[in-house]
Amino acid sequence: MAQILIIDDDADLLRVCRVGLEALGNAVRTADTGLAGLAEAAIRSPDVIVLDLGLPDLDGLEVCSRLRAWSQVPVIVLSADGSEDRKVEALDQGADDYVTKPFGMRELNARLQVALRHRPSDEAGDGPAEVVVGALRLDLVHREATLDGSAVDLAPKEFEFLAFLARHVGKVCTRRMILENVWGAQYTKELHYLKVYAYRIRRKLGDHDGKLLQSDPAVGYRLVAPLE
Amino acid sequence: MRRWLVGLAASLAAIVVLTAAMVPLRSHLSPATTALVLVVPVVVGVVVGGLAAGVCSVVAGFLVYDFFFIPPYLTLWVGAAQNWVALGVYGAVMLLVSQVVARMNSARSEARRQGREIAELFELSRMLVEDRSLDVLLSSVVSTVADVFGARQVVLLLPDDGNLTVAASKGQDLSDNQLRRVLPKAGELTSLGVSPFEHDGLFVIALAAAGRPVGLLVVSSDVVKADRRAPLMLFANHIALAVERVQLRDKALQSRLAEEVARLAKTMVGAVSHDLRAPLTTIKGASSTLADSELDLDAEATRTLVKLIDVQADRLAHLVQNLLDMSRIQAGVLTPRWSVTSVDELLAGALDALDHRGHVITVETRGDLPFVDADEVLISRVLINLLENALRYSPKATPVVVRAAIEGDDRVKVSVIDRGPGVIAERRNEVFELFSRRHDDAGAGLGLTIAKTFVEAHGQHIWVSEAPGGGAMFCFTLATVAPISEEMKLGADSHH
Repeated sequence: MAQILIIDDDADLLRVCRVGLEALGNAVRTADTGLAGLAEAAIRSPDVIVLDLGLPDLDGLEVCSRLRAWSQVPVIVLSADGSEDRKVEALDQGADDYVTKPFGMRELNARLQVALRHRPSDEAGDGPAEVVVGALRLDLVHREATLDGSAVDLAPKEFEFLAFLARHVGKVCTRRMILENVWGAQYTKELHYLKVYAYRIRRKLGDHDGKLLQSDPAVGYRLVAPLE
Repeated sequence: MRRWLVGLAASLAAIVVLTAAMVPLRSHLSPATTALVLVVPVVVGVVVGGLAAGVCSVVAGFLVYDFFFIPPYLTLWVGAAQNWVALGVYGAVMLLVSQVVARMNSARSEARRQGREIAELFELSRMLVEDRSLDVLLSSVVSTVADVFGARQVVLLLPDDGNLTVAASKGQDLSDNQLRRVLPKAGELTSLGVSPFEHDGLFVIALAAAGRPVGLLVVSSDVVKADRRAPLMLFANHIALAVERVQLRDKALQSRLAEEVARLAKTMVGAVSHDLRAPLTTIKGASSTLADSELDLDAEATRTLVKLIDVQADRLAHLVQNLLDMSRIQAGVLTPRWSVTSVDELLAGALDALDHRGHVITVETRGDLPFVDADEVLISRVLINLLENALRYSPKATPVVVRAAIEGDDRVKVSVIDRGPGVIAERRNEVFELFSRRHDDAGAGLGLTIAKTFVEAHGQHIWVSEAPGGGAMFCFTLATVAPISEEMKLGADSHH
């Protein structure tokens, strides 16, 4: 049973989420301030955290970056204002995904499951030499990609783009993060690169409907392993 | 003209007096002495009347000198050769003296005029740097120019929507004909902006600051003689700078205002969308769980969700009501529908519509309160909003008290008292402003603004103070239908 921690100051919403998510088979704990949430996260180490950005004591972004100082637990941000900037900022601060209010309980649960599925393993190390996302296998050392066992011919930047998403599988990577890491800091305004490369990669992977390489308009991209 | 005549008269009078005094003694006086005495009237003439009066008095003095004091007396006949010399020297010296004195005189009056101009210019620049509105500035500018230069007509034209229009004038206005001649038409060649030009009795100066045209100064040209142009241009430059400064300040003010409006609009959209979204999120979360046929919810969970939907739907309804009230206020259609009612009735309605959230609301009123004149709907909204506010900030399990008492001769005061943190003195006016709310509060801050607007639509007051024993006390007044009788006041006193 997945342990979920919800940090939000709206008592009624906390009750709804507790009832709904417990009915969907999770164990739910709640905190109504940022500080209480951080304490709870430290004591119980939940499997995933749902974090509201508008908290009375600490800004949600601040909670996120403090959390990231010592924990890699997946964080799903609840954004109330619907503005892209805050979401993107939260993702840059280390959040993994976001859900815009209002949301259906199934939708929230689905996001939680994706985050749980791709939860980083606790083993420390220099990072894996190989990443597997569903049928896709990326050999990061030899820079080779295979899909269902057959080689995929990717240009160097296409491979790097895909590898970056694969290393953060399940997490929404903002456009800035991708451009900075794959192309370099001076390319963060070249948003059209992403469209072109995502289009080419999808074509080569046969991912025509964007199920594997998902795009989030005006926010970023993420790689998600399809459910078996 | 007059000054010249006065000078001549003074000089002639001096000649008459001195001659009358000297004639009896002339046999004892040398021609040189009398000549020396006759210098006096010439100097008087030139000092008082200028060069022309001086020259006339030289002629008069010359004739008098010859007639009375050069032998043979009482003829213009000049006898001895040495008398010729005396007469000649007198005439020549006097002409020189009057010239020198006249020049000194005119230099002095020129200096005086320049001093006055500098004083006026100083006065003008002092006025120009004062922070005044453009209208006041312009009218004082034109009257100063008119005063200093003695101009019959001074007109200042400034651009308005791209066209130069008369912004201020002193003396007669420009006729349409003149205006047409002064103003350049589209596609017409004009000397505007290059240098001042004179045209049909008008002297036109283009005002420019930092190379940018600011406006046009038109002065009737009879006063603008060559030597007055420089000071006029100096004035014009000062005016241009001041007008430009005021124009820039007005522009800056306008853009600040626009920014403020945009900021307010943004705050409003942000606050309202937050307030709409928060209850919607709870409702959507609960309803999507209830609607999920695959989930097996127990009765307790179902009841919790249904109850939450109910509460949040009320919250939404309340917010929508507030937004409607707000739009009513902004549309300016807020006229109370007066009716005779009682505070108890108003309170009962408000308490009915309110979600108490587990708080106890204590009502403390006298049974014999006078009837009041009020719009029942509006005052109910005021009460609901004040109570909502009190409930929001009250710690759990503390009561909210509503009190009503007579106030003065013709009013009832209603107070809503909570045991919350209260409102600090500096924020007591602010809390009624649009979108004012505590930083940790989720409400859009419409409620108190609406309450204030509604109360003021009744011509009454609303204010907040500290409740005795801590917390906030919001009070407002209502007008009674009839003046309050003395015995009722006494009753109120004994009540305390």
